[in-house]
Amino acid sequence: MRTCTGSSSPEHFMRVALIALALTAATAAAVVPRDVVQRTSDQVIAVLGDQSLSREVRRKRVEDVVIANVDFPTVSRLVLARNWSRFSEPQQEEFMREFRAHLAATYGRRLDEYRNETVSILGDRRESNGDWTVKSKILRGDGGQNDILVDYRLREVDGEWKIIDFIIEQVSLVANFRAQFQDMVARGGPEHVLQVLREKTAKGEAIAS
Amino acid sequence: MRDSGRSTGGALPRILATACILALAAGAAAGTDGAPDGVQAGAGTPPAAAVTDERDEPDADPWQGMNRAIFWFNDQVDVYVLEPVARGWRWATPGPMRTGISNFFQNLRFPIVFVNETFQAKPFDALRTFARFGINTTLGIAGFLDPAAEFGLEPTAEDFGQTLGVWGVPSGPYLVLPLLGPSNVRDTGGLAVDTATTIIPFFVDTLLIIGPRLIDVVNTRARFLDEVEEAKAASFDYYVAVRHAYQQRRRAEIDDRGREAGEEFVPDEDLYRVVEP
Repeated sequence: MRTCTGSSSPEHFMRVALIALALTAATAAAVVPRDVVQRTSDQVIAVLGDQSLSREVRRKRVEDVVIANVDFPTVSRLVLARNWSRFSEPQQEEFMREFRAHLAATYGRRLDEYRNETVSILGDRRESNGDWTVKSKILRGDGGQNDILVDYRLREVDGEWKIIDFIIEQVSLVANFRAQFQDMVARGGPEHVLQVLREKTAKGEAIAS
Repeated sequence: MRDSGRSTGGALPRILATACILALAAGAAAGTDGAPDGVQAGAGTPPAAAVTDERDEPDADPWQGMNRAIFWFNDQVDVYVLEPVARGWRWATPGPMRTGISNFFQNLRFPIVFVNETFQAKPFDALRTFARFGINTTLGIAGFLDPAAEFGLEPTAEDFGQTLGVWGVPSGPYLVLPLLGPSNVRDTGGLAVDTATTIIPFFVDTLLIIGPRLIDVVNTRARFLDEVEEAKAASFDYYVAVRHAYQQRRRAEIDDRGREAGEEFVPDEDLYRVVEP
């Protein structure tokens, strides 16, 4: 650095840093859905593979990456579909919070099982409603027998592309949870859903720690 | 891109593979007591009377009471017998051996896959399957290795239930079979036909069939130990989660015809519409 510029004053450093920051921000704005998936999986894999971090730190970081890249309000609404309006506002809030905790914990829990998996992005396509689907494959060695196909569905929310569904081996997570919640709402209403959700999250936390 | 038909062998592994749907990332583990969460519904459950309509309820399950009972039974067998045995198997055997055994049984499915690809008018797939069988049976040492995949001949999964689906036969109600797991009326019929096509000569002693079959089942179960555990931990109603995954997956498998013609499999767009109150 120094040899290039011939100046190393703090002011100069600050200026360079600011320009770098501005550039990063500009790039981030132009990020396409594919990059979001690539970045997210790179980040997750980097954390999972970093054995120098404690289990708790890794878990926390994976959860952070998931939370930063998944649009939980949208996921929550899609998952509840028509039943969303049967939830009062505080119930909706709680649902979002608990469901997010549940998903993040699910993601975070798998770090013990990390076996040098890598992610290969197979392609992407624009959906008719403006969403994008990014197709990927999780490579798990063993001659490909245990590879897993994962499609990510992304939607632009406030200028940022966020994941709104994971389609694992052609089964949509949103659709799968929707089927489960539908049954539960039908059986016991919103309060029953929240009850089960609370118990599950509490249990999930217990498992993780 | 022939990723869709990537075979996982018989019906059981496919179902278990889809169970990993809830694993979010790549399938992995968690520790739970394995009991399906949510309410054990079944008897006395009022029909879904709440805010549901046809579009939201594609999972017609009129026999839910019976299905849940069989599902529970299967789960008990799994928790107390199959899973522990599979865990022991995984502990006792090296990974390449399990892969080899899995390849071997997959290779034996050749007649089923070939016949059904022919029935579904997929000549290129049928040809590929034929080539795979030839290569793997010889170069692959009776099918234990899968050199064909390395030549770019990826396995495909076909069965008579899919063929019937391609022919336009509706799935009929969801049905959980004792020990065999999730199915529906159509696929159960398909399974019966496929079993008749299996490459076991009719004169072979029953015991000689059951032994290898058990190894196949245990070996396959051992591949999905983490996934099933994770799916149970992640789901709120494991029964519904598995039912839905099975139905979605079957639909996608039957639809792969369209994909071959260059069309992409398009999910139900309604799924992604945010409902405004």
